Amino acid sequence: MNPPTHPRIALVTGVTGQDGAYLSELLLAKGYEVHGIKRRASLFNTQRIDHLYQDPHETGRRFVLHHGDLTDSSNLIRIVQQVQPDEIYNLAAQSHVAVSFEEPEYTANADGLGTLRLLEAIRILGLEKKTRFYQASTSELYGLVQEVPQKETTPFYPRSPYAVAKLYAYWITVNYREAYGMYACNGILFNHESPLRGETFVTRKITRAVARIALGLQDCLYLGNLSALRDWGHARDYVEMQWLMLQQPAPEDFVIATGVQVSVRRFVELACAELGITVAFGGEGVEEVGTVVAVARDGLRCKPGDVIVRVDPRYFRPTEVETLLGDASKARERLGWTPKITLAELVREMVHSDHAAARRDSLVKDAGFQTYDHHE
Amino acid sequence: MTTTSEAAAPRRALICGVGGQDGAYLAALLLSKGYAVTGSSRDAASMPRRGLQSLGVDGRVELVSMAPSDFRSVLQTITRTRPDEIYNLAGQSSVGLSFELPVETIESIAIGVLNLLEAVRFVERPIRLYNAGSSECFGDTGELPANESTPFRPRSPYAVAKACAHNLVANYREAYRMHACTGILFNHESPLRPERFVTQKIVRAAARIAAGSDETLALGNLDIERDWGWAPEYVEAMWRMLQPDAPEDFVIGTGRSVPLEHFVERAFGHFGLDWRRHVRRDPALLRPSDIRRGAADPSRARERLGWRPRHGVDEVVAAMCEAARAG
Repeated sequence: MNPPTHPRIALVTGVTGQDGAYLSELLLAKGYEVHGIKRRASLFNTQRIDHLYQDPHETGRRFVLHHGDLTDSSNLIRIVQQVQPDEIYNLAAQSHVAVSFEEPEYTANADGLGTLRLLEAIRILGLEKKTRFYQASTSELYGLVQEVPQKETTPFYPRSPYAVAKLYAYWITVNYREAYGMYACNGILFNHESPLRGETFVTRKITRAVARIALGLQDCLYLGNLSALRDWGHARDYVEMQWLMLQQPAPEDFVIATGVQVSVRRFVELACAELGITVAFGGEGVEEVGTVVAVARDGLRCKPGDVIVRVDPRYFRPTEVETLLGDASKARERLGWTPKITLAELVREMVHSDHAAARRDSLVKDAGFQTYDHHE
Repeated sequence: MTTTSEAAAPRRALICGVGGQDGAYLAALLLSKGYAVTGSSRDAASMPRRGLQSLGVDGRVELVSMAPSDFRSVLQTITRTRPDEIYNLAGQSSVGLSFELPVETIESIAIGVLNLLEAVRFVERPIRLYNAGSSECFGDTGELPANESTPFRPRSPYAVAKACAHNLVANYREAYRMHACTGILFNHESPLRPERFVTQKIVRAAARIAAGSDETLALGNLDIERDWGWAPEYVEAMWRMLQPDAPEDFVIGTGRSVPLEHFVERAFGHFGLDWRRHVRRDPALLRPSDIRRGAADPSRARERLGWRPRHGVDEVVAAMCEAARAG
C-alpha cells in the first residue's frame, strides 16, 4: 500500500480548551493537518494554543483556526464542507457542571443540540462514509452511580443539566452510528486535568490557590463538597485515547479512567505537600477547615495554625455527584491503553506550573504593579 | 376530593399540546372532575379541534397560543393562566418523523420541558408538572418487561429527546424539590390517533377495503412487538400521578405485548377480511433503527396509584374499528 500523499485532516471543536490543545499537539505530531473551531470573543481566548498558532499569511499551514459555534448549524456545515475532515473531534461544550445549573438552556443547546448539528452536517454533506466522529462524553453521565466502578455497561443517572445535555449527545451519537452506519463513538472520560485546566475547575482552583497561599498572594481557599470522590487522570494521556478510538476497524464506546479515586480533601493535601505544607482537616460540614500544621521549607508565607481552606456552601450543587470511579478494562484489553501519568505526577506538574505563575505575579506585585487573583 | 373552598375556586390545569389525542382526552377528564382547563397549542387559532369536538368539550377549554421552545412564551402563559397542574403533552410525537426532523424534535421535546421547568421555578408557585415520557426510551426491552428502574437505550432521535426530557424532569425534582414527574407511557391508541401512526393507518385501510376500496396496505416490519393500550385510560394515569404529595415516575402499559401482525389480523378480522390478501411489505417503511420488542411492567402504577387498564389490545382494535366504520 502506498503511503498517503496528502496528510490526514482533523477538525477539532473546542480547540481552545485543555483537551483541544493537547489533542492538537498530538495530531500535529502525527502529521495531521489540524483545523480548529473557536468561538468569537472580544477577549483573546487562545492562550492554550498560541504556541501552535501559524499566521494566516504563512503558506503550507498545518494548524488552521476557524470561527464557529456549535449553536449555528449553517456555520458548522460550511466549515465541515471547506475542511472535508477525515476525523472530527467534538470537544466543544459548556463544560462546567455548576454553571449548567445557572445556564441550563444554553448548556442543552451547545452540548446536546451542538452534537446533533455536527452529526447532521456530516450527513447533509454526504460524508457519512468518510468522516469519523469522536464525541467527548463524560463520567458525569453516571452521576448518582448505579454500580462501582463504572464501566461501559453501567446505567446512567445524570445529576446536572450539563450531564443531561451530555447524555443526549451520547445517545444521539450512538443513534447516528446505528441508524446511518456512521463511524461515530463516545469516549466516556473521567475527570482529566493538567496545568491547562480552566481556573474555575476544582483541581486547578486548588493548585492555583495553594501556590498563591505559599507566596502570600492569597489567604484562604474556599471549596464546596470536600468529600466528593473523583478519578483524576492527566489530559495528555486521555487525548491519546481519543485518537486511538477513531483508528479502529469498527466504532465503539470506551470508558477512560485511571481506576484510582481520591477525595477533593485528599487532593488539597497532596497539592500542599508538594510545596512543603502539611495541612490537616478538622470540623464537620460547612464548619470544616484545613489548617497548616507544619511547613517543611523556608520562605513560605503561611505558618502552622493558619486556616487556609474553608467550606463555602455557595459551591455546593443543587444535586451533587458524590463519587466517580472508572473501570477502563475495555480500553486496556482492546486498545492496549493504560494511563502513564500518576496522580502524584499530575499534582506535581499542576502545582509547579501554578507556582511559577504565582512567582511571576509576586515579582510584578513587588515591582509596584497591581495583580489580580481571578476569582469565579 | 371536593371541598367547599375548591368548589368556590376550581383547580386550574394547563394542558400543553391540547390539540393531540391525549390532550383531548385529558381535557375531557379534567373538565369532568371540575377543573378549569386551559389548553395550549403553538397557534391556537389554527389548531385542529376535531379531537375536542368529538369529545364534546370544544368551547369548554380556554385555548391559548404557546410555543414550548420559546421561554418568554412559556413564562407568559404560566403567569397568565396560573395553573395548579401542568400537563406537558406537547412536542413532535412521531418516531418516524424524528429521523427527518431531529432538531425540531429535540427543541420541541427537551427544550420545551426545560422551559416549563425553568418557568415554574421562576414563578415560585407550587405548580405540579406532569411530563409525557415515552416507552421508546427503553429501546428494545427483549423478554424482560421494562419498569421504572430499567436503563434507557433510545433508538431514534425522538427517543433520545424523550430520554433527555425525562432526565431533566428528574434532575429538577431532585435539585429543586419540584413536584414534577414523568409518565413513561407505552403505546396508547384511540380513534383520535392521526393516520400517520401505524395503528390508525391499519384500521382506516381495513375499513375502506371493507367498504369496497381495492387498495393495498403497505407496511414495514410486522414482527415488531408493542404494548398497545387505550388512550382514555392512560390520561387517567397522568392525572393520578399528580395527586400524591411525593412525585414519582411511573411506567404505564397494559403488561401484554403482541406483534404488529396480531394487530393487523384483528383489525382486518373485525371487518371479516383476511389481512394476507390486502397487505404488502414495503422496505421503504422500515426505520433506520427500530425496536423489535417493547414490553411493560406497570406494577408500580397498579400498586401505588391503583391504576388498572380495562382495555387490552383486542378491545383497542375493536373500538378503533367501530369508530372507523362509523366514519
